[in-house]
Formats: sequence, structure tokens, C-alpha cells
Amino acid sequence: MSEPVTRRDLLNNVARGSVLAALGGGAIFLVQKAHGQVVWQVDASRCTNSRLGDSTNVEACKLCTTECVVALSAVRAVNEHSKCGRCNICPAYFNITSAVDEKGLPSEKQCPRDAITRKPIGKADPEDPANNFYDYVIDEDKCDGCGKCVMKCKEPLGLGSIVLRVRYDRCVNCNKCAISRSCPKDAMIQVPVEEALRPPEIRHNPE
Amino acid sequence: MQYRQIREIGGKGSVPGQFASSLRSLAVDAHGQVFAAGDAGITVFDPAGRVKRRWATSRPPLSVAVAKDGTIYAGELRQIEIFSSAGKLVNTWRDETLLGRVTAIGFVKDGVLAGDAADRAIRHFDAAGKFRNNIGKDNPVNGLLIPNGVVDFAVDAHDVIHAANPGRHRVERYRATGELLGHIGRFHGTDPAGFGGCCNPTNVAVGGSVYVTEKGGPRAKAYDFDGNLQAVIAAAEAFDPNCKNMSIAVDGRGVVYVADTIKLNILVFEPVAA
Repeated sequence: MSEPVTRRDLLNNVARGSVLAALGGGAIFLVQKAHGQVVWQVDASRCTNSRLGDSTNVEACKLCTTECVVALSAVRAVNEHSKCGRCNICPAYFNITSAVDEKGLPSEKQCPRDAITRKPIGKADPEDPANNFYDYVIDEDKCDGCGKCVMKCKEPLGLGSIVLRVRYDRCVNCNKCAISRSCPKDAMIQVPVEEALRPPEIRHNPE
Repeated sequence: MQYRQIREIGGKGSVPGQFASSLRSLAVDAHGQVFAAGDAGITVFDPAGRVKRRWATSRPPLSVAVAKDGTIYAGELRQIEIFSSAGKLVNTWRDETLLGRVTAIGFVKDGVLAGDAADRAIRHFDAAGKFRNNIGKDNPVNGLLIPNGVVDFAVDAHDVIHAANPGRHRVERYRATGELLGHIGRFHGTDPAGFGGCCNPTNVAVGGSVYVTEKGGPRAKAYDFDGNLQAVIAAAEAFDPNCKNMSIAVDGRGVVYVADTIKLNILVFEPVAA
């Protein structure tokens, strides 16, 4: 006879499913690793581009792009949609100080590789498109982890929903990660495989 | 019009009149007393900025407002606590649905308004706490666009409600019945007359003008009722750069009070002739 599924089991399964979805193609690489193995990951609370308290006018740190041995970088920007404000004007998508166009929107985009797409959620009113939520999706094949959108998304300018994450289908798990050697904030850390599979909220707030 | 800072009240600390960890909402009464909702209670300052009294609320206060009769309303999670002018609890309105997270309170002729950030709407109650109608909810997104998690509004002398709708970069005007009358404001990333960033203004006050605060970089501004910028009351240099959801209040003389939510102080500005 099968065990009854508790609410906790259900929530854990949902959480695991959403994490695996967020991990994308890298999830399968991660779950194949043995327990006890460690993998590299960006600690968002240390990363210059995402940690709170740094001025919003500071240029983004690009070391994850320039130092990684993998083409473009194994680090990509990831939008945690549950935290995203789904704003009409997103500072991570638009260059909000660029000239305003005839639609009342900034005329320039933030991402130098045009890796973020913006789509209305549902049908936007053509007479009043600002009165709507918008979905921002990062194309990881285009993203090189430069951190520009991450820096513009962090609070208080944004809501801090975009963070840099190591993608395990790209990372070759070097014994000594080139990014970790150059990161001035020691934000590239090694975590056990099982911890990398958990969402950050659970990792920082264990029951 | 120009403004100059004349006073600084409060600050981070543990002595009376200071705040340990939060300063969320301000109100000013007809006598120039300043009411601050912070930490786990309400602090009252006299017009010179000296502490008059302080009392605890049963849940951390998210908003504070003073009625014409001197009664003090504190908005909290799932309830509003009502205190006498001496700080004695006289009533509690509880409602899991209509008072999810009360981040603003105001008054119209015969009613009480509560901004419920959990549902992105303003609730209109009669004076006894009976629900009448929603405000700001009759639109395609079913509420105000508040990525910052705060509903804030103010009521003018004609009972018109001026509500911040930061996701639309507007201050919208409503009747207490919920009818949308119009709006001021537009997005602009560099023009001080516009509202910048993803979602501004975050907070609003009304007196002889419409007063607002913005986040990232923080600033306080005054507009006329047609939406023309009158003054940048205080620019980013006046505040901690990581401030957001800075409560703003104005007294009968046009003196403006702004809460720095990081330094936990109240900056006081008075208008001066240009």
C-alpha cells in the first residue's frame, strides 16, 4: 500500500519541480552527480551585482563573463519569476535613462546581447498598455552573464528578482574555478550537489 | 517654490524618539504633532520634534493616520487598531480578507479608507467599520500596480483620494465611491518632472499641493493639481540611497515630513520664497 502524500511532500515536490525547471537543462547534469560532491554556484548575497547596499549607479562587475573558461561563461542571468514585479518599465530590460519614445517607453534596451524578451501577460489594452503586467524571459543561449541586468534589477531600483547562477549543463566544474579566483567578493562558492538543487530561500531559512 | 530642511527627528537607535529597525509611516495632526509608525508601536512627537508619548501596537504597525477628532488609527496585518489621543486602545477592526496588509489609512466625510497592499486596493468603510466598496480595483489588472508592496494614498479637502499607482507612474484621483476622476504623472528617466525607475511614486500626501516620494534614487517632490512640477523638495543626496517606500506627510502650513526608511529619521522641510 502506498504511503499517503502529505501537504509537506506535495510542497516539496512542487518546490523541487520549480527548481528543476529553473535549473533548465542543467538539472539532469546535477542530479547525476553523487551525493557529497560539490559544485560551484554564485552566492547572490555576496555578488557585487546583486548584493544589497551597493549604489545603483555602480557599473556591473563582468568577471563572470571575462574569467570563465567556458565560451560566453557558465554563469547566466536568471529571473526568479516569483519575485519579479512584472513591471511595465523594467530597469533590467530598458535603459531607463534613455530618451522616451512615442509610446512613453525608454527607447534603448539594457542588455547588450538583446537576451531579454518582454511580453504582456494576457492581452494588453492597446489604448493603455501601461496598465498591464509584463513577463521578462532571459534567453540563456544569448546571455553571457555580464550582470548588467542583475545590477539594474536589484533593490531599491528593482526588486532583485534577477540573479547570476551557474548553469550546470555548461559548467565544467573546474577544480579551481577561474571566476572564484578573480572574484573580489568571494561570491563564487562551492556547495554540495543536494544544496544546489534547493531553492535559495530554503537554503537560507532551514526549518 | 523651494524648500529647505529645518529639522531632523528620530534616527536609528534605542533611546526614546529613535527607531531600532523600521520607520514605515507618518501622519501630522492639526496641531502639528507628528505620528510615526515604526518598530512595534506609535511614537508621537511635538511640533519641535520632542517625543511626547509612545505606545505599542499588538502587531507591528504598517501605517498611521489621525482623524479630525484626534483618534489615531494604526494599520497592521489583517487589522486596524484604533487608539484615543492618549494612546489607549478603543477598538480593533479585524478582517482577514479586506485588511490583508494595511499600508495606508485615510478619512473621508463619513468613512474610513484603508490601503490593502495584499489585494492592491483601497477599502472604503463607514465610520463603524462596515465595508462599503473598493477603490482602485475596477480595472483590467484588478488593482493598483504596486511592485513595491505598498498601497499609499491621501485625501484632499474635497474628499478626493489621490492614490499612488507606481507601476503606471501616476497619482490617480478617485471618489470614495471608486470612480476614477483622472491622474497626474508620466514616466521619465531623467526629467525631474517625470517619475523614474520601474515604479514610482511610491508614496503620496496632499495639502496645498500633491507631494510624492520616489525610490532609486530617492527624492521628494511637489506638484500642482494639474500635474506640473512645483519643486524638488529634497533630492537623492538628502536620503540614504537604498531608501524606498518613504512615507510623506504635510501639515497645514505646508511643512513637509519625509521618512528615511534606512536612517530611520524624519526630515522636515519648509517652503521658502524663491
